[in-house]
Amino acid sequence: MAESDNSPLKSDALHLDDFSVRQQPHQQIVPKYYGEALLAAARADTSILALTADLTAPTETDLVRDHLPDQFVMAGIAEANMVGVGAGLARAGFIPFVHSFSVFLSRRSFDQIAMQIAYPKTNVKLVGFMPGIDSLLGVSHQAIDDIALMRALPNMTILEPASPADYQDAVAAALAHEGPVYLRLYRATAPATPVDGVPPLQAGKIRHLHHGNDAAIFATGLMVEQALLAAEDLKAQSVNASVIDCASIKPLDVEGILEVISQSKIIVTAENHTIIGGLGSAIAEIMAGNNIARPFFRIGVQDCFAEGGSRAFLFGKYGLSAKDIAAAVKQGLAS
Amino acid sequence: MQTGNRTSLKELTDTATTIRKDVIRMVARHGQGYVQQGLGAADLFSYLYFQELRFDTANLNWADRDRFILSTAHNTAVFYATLARAGLLEPQTLTEYCLDGSSLEINASERLGPLVECTCGSLGQGLSVAVGLAMGSRRQQRDANIYLMLGDGELEEGQVWEAAMFAATHKLSNLTMIIDLNYMQVEGDARDVAAIDPVDAKLESFGWQTIIIDGHDFEAMFASFAAARANTDRPSCIIAQTTPGKGVPFLEGQKSHNMVLPEGTADDALRWLEADHG
Repeated sequence: MAESDNSPLKSDALHLDDFSVRQQPHQQIVPKYYGEALLAAARADTSILALTADLTAPTETDLVRDHLPDQFVMAGIAEANMVGVGAGLARAGFIPFVHSFSVFLSRRSFDQIAMQIAYPKTNVKLVGFMPGIDSLLGVSHQAIDDIALMRALPNMTILEPASPADYQDAVAAALAHEGPVYLRLYRATAPATPVDGVPPLQAGKIRHLHHGNDAAIFATGLMVEQALLAAEDLKAQSVNASVIDCASIKPLDVEGILEVISQSKIIVTAENHTIIGGLGSAIAEIMAGNNIARPFFRIGVQDCFAEGGSRAFLFGKYGLSAKDIAAAVKQGLAS
Repeated sequence: MQTGNRTSLKELTDTATTIRKDVIRMVARHGQGYVQQGLGAADLFSYLYFQELRFDTANLNWADRDRFILSTAHNTAVFYATLARAGLLEPQTLTEYCLDGSSLEINASERLGPLVECTCGSLGQGLSVAVGLAMGSRRQQRDANIYLMLGDGELEEGQVWEAAMFAATHKLSNLTMIIDLNYMQVEGDARDVAAIDPVDAKLESFGWQTIIIDGHDFEAMFASFAAARANTDRPSCIIAQTTPGKGVPFLEGQKSHNMVLPEGTADDALRWLEADHG
């Protein structure tokens, strides 16, 4: 079917129906960074299909639904089936992008993902939104363990971009890898600006966003912003910290990470996820496996369930703020 | 293999007997296994691979092949035996069934290659993949059909009903599910575990065409599979009532998920099958 419409984004493309933030009066119009990237990719390749489980607008797949309706599949509130259908479509030669909130994709469909996507290496892209504790909707909607689950699966690639400005590169990286990919995304609440002077996001590569030899902060997703804020704060106190964007959680850039660690006194990891099994664990495994000892701190959800709330409130209460990162660095330097 | 020609009842029956003998030999080597299910489904497998399914023995990845998914992935003795008799697997490999290192595992996996369209040992998942394949095949305007064999106990898995509802929503008439209805699951009679009956009314209410047949009656298979292929607006389910242990009188009706098969019993069963059809 031809595209139904090439008109500019309509009013329903605005950012009005998410529960990740409380709506503010006179809110800025924020582009749908992921939705636009997927739409562009799907226009270029008609084998790309968007599947979603009754969460079209919150996963920004409304753009594909409205502009390329023939490439959109509404799977209903049935995530396990959606994952299996995606695997079947991939076996028929399509490239399904399967969407839901991160928590439902990972927890509700884990066995289906293991057996129908990871084991047979079907070319399915799993796209989870609302990661970690970044949600008003409470504990049922907070994916604090999805990275751990996905990391444990053989054949799975995991990408968690730091900024919506990277989503286009993340979609490209997912497509460049023929096989299972888990994209862990949050929705932009403000226009995003690309970071200057760093290469585009790619699988298996870290990006050095801030340089300093006193400490290295390895961060992913939303925590990259907190890490950069912490680095600025530390700089004002004459402490120089590196900030490393670990968007490619699997495969990890082991060589790049070892090089950064070799030049750093303190190692801090920061993730919007439980400290068990995620980025912090992965970095610890690299250090232990290479006989490297450094003061080491994992910023993240400290093995507990959280609650619904705003990002600032939850990051403050559960120890995921820039302040917590800076405090960990200072504690390490003092030890 | 579907050629447009009708396979004779004698050939289907003889093939089923050959498959049954293979099943006995394969399970007997281990003294225990999925023998009752294998004997029970042998007629269905004979019909599927010697009449219904379209495939190319020289090109297993042929894009327009019919796809068959064994959601009852443990029922492999009959599956592998059928593949061997259909020229899709070296008959000699049947002796490797369930041996360490063999790709003929208890639960069929893709280590066997493209003959296993989907790895299904975790029950409830096969139908969703079949639905995805049926959608994909239709989008590509292929005339291939997608077949799935499901166990009745598997109907207790919720995902089956998610997939059934979704398949009907999309009017996937190129999808045919065969339910091997023997009321046998690990814990005993499936009806004592969950109220799975009436299977036909449940699926009809979900938007499927359903046909109940005697799973040992080839004429009924000809008619029901023809009706499934002729259907254009909804998926079809052939509910095949099968008898565990079918074909060997002293095994018929014995319900055991993983039955012990001592050497003497296996020999007696083989003698019976030889005498009956030799």
